[in-house]
Amino acid sequence: MENVIELQHIQKSFDGFQLKDLSLTVKKGFVTGFIGGNGVGKSTTIKLIMNLLQPDNGTVSIFGLNYKEHEKEIKQRIGFVFDENIFYENLTLAEMKKIIKPAYKNWDDNLFAQYVKTFELPLNKKIKTFSKGMMMKASLTMALSHHAELIIMDEPTSGLDPIFRRELLDILHDLMQDGEKTIFFSTHITTDLDRIADYITFIHKGEHLFTKEFYKIEEEYAIVKGGNELLDRDTEREFVSIRKSNHGFEALTANKKRIENIFGEMVMLEKPTLEDIMFYTKKGAEQYV
Amino acid sequence: MFNLIRKDIVLVKPTLMIMLPILVLSLFQGPSIYIGFLFSIAIIMSAFASDEKTSINTLLNSLPYTRKEIVSSKYIGAFIFLSLVVFTIFIGNLVIHKEITIWKEILFIVCLVMVTISLFFPFSYKFKSQYLLIGTLVLFVLYLTVVNFIFQNINDKIREFVGMLLALQSSQLYLLVGFIVTALYVCSWLLSIRIYSKKIF
Repeated sequence: MENVIELQHIQKSFDGFQLKDLSLTVKKGFVTGFIGGNGVGKSTTIKLIMNLLQPDNGTVSIFGLNYKEHEKEIKQRIGFVFDENIFYENLTLAEMKKIIKPAYKNWDDNLFAQYVKTFELPLNKKIKTFSKGMMMKASLTMALSHHAELIIMDEPTSGLDPIFRRELLDILHDLMQDGEKTIFFSTHITTDLDRIADYITFIHKGEHLFTKEFYKIEEEYAIVKGGNELLDRDTEREFVSIRKSNHGFEALTANKKRIENIFGEMVMLEKPTLEDIMFYTKKGAEQYV
Repeated sequence: MFNLIRKDIVLVKPTLMIMLPILVLSLFQGPSIYIGFLFSIAIIMSAFASDEKTSINTLLNSLPYTRKEIVSSKYIGAFIFLSLVVFTIFIGNLVIHKEITIWKEILFIVCLVMVTISLFFPFSYKFKSQYLLIGTLVLFVLYLTVVNFIFQNINDKIREFVGMLLALQSSQLYLLVGFIVTALYVCSWLLSIRIYSKKIF
């Protein structure tokens, strides 16, 4: 399978934060959800992918091309949405379009008009009067109106009402139908991912923990509940991390089958949510530090 | 890159609509050199300031432009705005005073603006244009100190010097000055590209 985004051995340090040897790939034709807590490097990673930051070490390649030689070519094929307003506040959407349109070879006025209509966006109102939701719709309209092959979004759903969040996910879902497009988006609202993500990429404290197919996560991971007497030094090692209380323990496993073999009927297995996985993985990662 | 320049023109259009009529009005009195200089700098820096927000830099750098193009568009744009002001002065003088502006005066405005921009742009890319005022004030205080303590008649000297320059006949000297100013502008341009390429948004 073709990789649209390839980050290899990326290192980037700032004051008090660093990405350590981050490698990740995003597959063509799929939706990849990018999850992790606040301040773990999601936005930094997205900026690296957009060439807003250059890595101290390592390589970034998009569509198999590097930014050094093919910067404009790459950016022609990317649609981007950021979680803040990046438009000129004092312009209207129509004026903003006039500025963005000439930058793209494949700009499609009909498509633009269609999204403006779908989203009920006002063309002649200043952007600074837009609400968070309208802002997001305006960004999305710009991102989708030039037939981009790769859509990159940084927290597109944060601050949106649940109805529009669902509409947005439907739009993204429709976009994916031809199999040519790739979506990579970061979020901390993990329920968004249940609906559309094919892959989940999880980072924690600047480190890439895993990229997995969504259905595999459900197959492999499980929340295990049982009595404290089942835990000893050997069995504890089977879990990503464990939460103990007087009534028993609750733990996350990355190998559901093995747990079934070891404990059989003595424990209760439940389907984990992404939040469970994030929570326990974070806890586990901290224990080994 | 042409698109970036066009974008700047669109963005400063409201400012231009106010500034150019005032420029024409102010031609009724006073020497056009200083007016031309002040208006050029004001327009060029307002175009510069409109792109200074981090979010706008995120936008410009995410669009298919290189950082080199983003910086270059400012330098070429500055030249276009300067030409616009000079052209307005030329036409204004022609209509109001029925006289053709002396080419030396025009050259003087152009050189003065280019030198100032050569200093302002790299400074603003490195820090921010909002600190320009402070920077200029510091320079001004230094200047006053120098005037008061070292050469007490520096203002007269400068006035004399400007008069002398304008009175000079030798076209070779003008060529030399033109060359030096252009060289400074190009160096400043390259320096700004260097500074901007390393910026983090």
